[in-house]
Amino acid sequence: MIPSYKILPQSSSDLNGYFGLQDFISIPFYNYESNPDNFFNTKDWGISLQYGAEFSGSFNSSIYLLGISKRIGNHSLSARYTPGFQKEFLFSTGESIVVNDTTTQSLEANYTYKELFGLGYSYKMNEQLSAGLSLRFFEQDFNQQIVKPVFGDTLYLVTENLSEDLNFWKADIGIDYFLNDQLQFRLASINLLNFGDDPTTEEFQGFEIKQERGAFIAAGFFPYNYLNFNFIYETTSSFQFSTTGNANKFVYGVTAFHDQYQEPYIAGLVPSFGYRTNLFEVLLSGVYYFSDRTNDAGFSQFYEEGIDNIINNRYSYNKIVLSLALNISSTPEKKVELIDVQIVREIYPTFYDMYLDKPFAYGKIVNISSEQVKVTPSVRIEGITEGNINSPQVLVEPGDTSTVPFYLIISESLNMERATLSNADFYVNVTSNQPDDEMQKPALVNSENAWDGNVVNLRYFISKDMNFSMNYAKNILSENKNILDSLLAELDEFEKAKLLFNEFVKKMTYVSDPRASVEYVQFPNQTFELKGGDCDDLSVAYCSLLESVGIQTALVDYKNDLQLRHVNVMFNTKLSPEQAALITNNDSKYFIRKNEQDIDEVWVPIETTSLTNFGEAWNLGVEKFNREALNELGLASGKVEIVDVY
Amino acid sequence: MLHKIKSGFIIQILSIVLVFAASMSAQQIQVNKVAGDVKYLSGTSEVWAKVKKGEALRTDGYISTGKNSSVHLNHSGELITIGELSAVSISSIKKMTTDELLLALAMEDMINAPKSNGKENSGNTAVYGEDESKNKITKLGANDFGIKRLNGAMQLAENGLSESSVVFAKETYRKYPETKKVASYRIFFADILYDKGLYAEALGEYLEIQKLELSKEQKNKVDSSINTLNKILLND
Repeated sequence: MIPSYKILPQSSSDLNGYFGLQDFISIPFYNYESNPDNFFNTKDWGISLQYGAEFSGSFNSSIYLLGISKRIGNHSLSARYTPGFQKEFLFSTGESIVVNDTTTQSLEANYTYKELFGLGYSYKMNEQLSAGLSLRFFEQDFNQQIVKPVFGDTLYLVTENLSEDLNFWKADIGIDYFLNDQLQFRLASINLLNFGDDPTTEEFQGFEIKQERGAFIAAGFFPYNYLNFNFIYETTSSFQFSTTGNANKFVYGVTAFHDQYQEPYIAGLVPSFGYRTNLFEVLLSGVYYFSDRTNDAGFSQFYEEGIDNIINNRYSYNKIVLSLALNISSTPEKKVELIDVQIVREIYPTFYDMYLDKPFAYGKIVNISSEQVKVTPSVRIEGITEGNINSPQVLVEPGDTSTVPFYLIISESLNMERATLSNADFYVNVTSNQPDDEMQKPALVNSENAWDGNVVNLRYFISKDMNFSMNYAKNILSENKNILDSLLAELDEFEKAKLLFNEFVKKMTYVSDPRASVEYVQFPNQTFELKGGDCDDLSVAYCSLLESVGIQTALVDYKNDLQLRHVNVMFNTKLSPEQAALITNNDSKYFIRKNEQDIDEVWVPIETTSLTNFGEAWNLGVEKFNREALNELGLASGKVEIVDVY
Repeated sequence: MLHKIKSGFIIQILSIVLVFAASMSAQQIQVNKVAGDVKYLSGTSEVWAKVKKGEALRTDGYISTGKNSSVHLNHSGELITIGELSAVSISSIKKMTTDELLLALAMEDMINAPKSNGKENSGNTAVYGEDESKNKITKLGANDFGIKRLNGAMQLAENGLSESSVVFAKETYRKYPETKKVASYRIFFADILYDKGLYAEALGEYLEIQKLELSKEQKNKVDSSINTLNKILLND
């Protein structure tokens, strides 16, 4: 009886591991094993080479694969030559003959399975859907020595070679669906169509590659550029999962696979690490099996169990593979060029949302295509942004030059203790995720305590660590609950502000800016920790305390150029002008402002550097405000400005 | 061109402010004569003190007179008389030019602009139209400090400091909103604006006054002033 072996020409495992459907890496897309639908993102021409070595006791190296790809519009074509995709089995048949009465010669059988080349085609239907197919050519060489009697004057035996070459083609299809940037799927066939030679020699029947039909489904989840998850499940119950990512042009991943024809349950790992630019890509990967591969296998085991895959089976050895890919653009595929970028603002990490409204850089782009394009500008700054930050799309007519803004989102949790010079990478994209053009510029990223001197931006320091201020303020207020409860409800804001100030000043000392400039501001918790600060620091800390308990504040910016610039605080007592007499007999000690509902409210200026008591700080605040803001018409001339915190 | 105009305007403002600030620091106010109950509130003090003849007053203080009382002040050689039931801040006893008055009015407008929170506030959604209570005159006594301030502002005008008087009155309206409803004072200060040739500002005031409860005589005067000003501004 002829045994039926499970020799499947394809499962989804390949030599680079599985990177999902991401377009940041191109090498794995020459692997029809996990990519039978020929999805790739090379813009024009692509060339790939895989060179590898197998650790089979000795170090055997060879070229595994040579691939070429071409994109024409939405059509993608590829071809690969796979000289290294072969597995040869050499066995003793168990028969032997005696030569010259003394020498015994064992008879041998040789079975070689090769995948020689493949072709791929795919069509991108839209940004979400792509489908394709691959056609692969396999060759099977079977040789077996047999003994044949020769009848003559003397009967003698001769050995003779039986051989047969069987070729066949196989075709598979697949479809890719991109639900969004983070979730992608693939459905593909395994051994969908097979056609070729059938064995004619009885001895070789059953040894040919069996083409069991199946399918696999793959899913990829890409929450971050630097961390992605991929999973493939085959209907044969084999599966593989991988963790991959890319950061700063480095790509990396590790794939674990379960093969129902191999032991143990997780049969091996495929780690990979590479580097890529728009022009080339280098990837070093390996296949490591957990089971022992050093023992020679006997024919009986091969006879009993067979193999399932040419490049990945129970007889495969650990491998190391170096893959190279080259992206060649013979035609100007890109549609826009980034001519220049001008950074117009320094980066202050604490102003985390400022660059959402105010671009930190402008780029000049030109549409070099013959059609109207929608350009998406984006920027990435090492250590500042989490991935690329996209700005709104800009429509550019053919041949036109346009200026595009680059906005930023800075992580609120960013900690920058000192100023650093970082690289800002600017990109312009038209259709794909692959940028049409990019430019790198150095960008100064200030420390988190840096301030640009604009009082409006002190609000960022006030709101930072608001939890700290809230806890601090609430502790003080709860300690004085009895006093607050005994007062008129109308005086709630005023008395709270007074209590907080009086506790605040007990712990504070006025110190000039440690860096002798206005560009350094302490966060409230730092001011409390250091037990002091200059006018900016003290005003920020006091405002933060008041705001944390719901008292509206404003900063008063005194820009008198004859003296040092000064900032102090004004807060809203929520009293009406008629109720002002509850807090003072002197109507010069408060200031009336209209709220959003056009209602007059009493505001009180406080000199935060007067670290004596609330009454004194109020008087000093009033004197300065009345003199410089009102009597000298500072508010009208712009020399004094009231800046609302919220 | 726009840049040039802006630069010119800013220089003009700064010049006014510099001259104004210099004139402020040069002021000396001395009490020449006191009759009756005259009190002085110094700087940020909470306590009113009796004013004595020959006393020098701080520029950031207040002076207030009771019924049948008056005070004569010497302001850099010029005599100022503040009559009964009046209150003035010493800093408002000063000569101002019309340009300075315009700047001060612009500042008042700026201060009176509602704080913007970036949201559209509908105000009272239950009642449409003007809130009538706004125009209802609350009975203000002669001793009400807001009324005393308006009296003081009128005294300033009567002493030839009409520009300062308008600024002081405006500040009074802001701090004592009820006083805005007293039409007679409003008309008095609107007339000053008219007399100074600040027609647009005067028209704005008259239009506001028109919404108040007015006597027939006041109404006729205000309507007439509005008509005249409209004609003047149309022909400008």
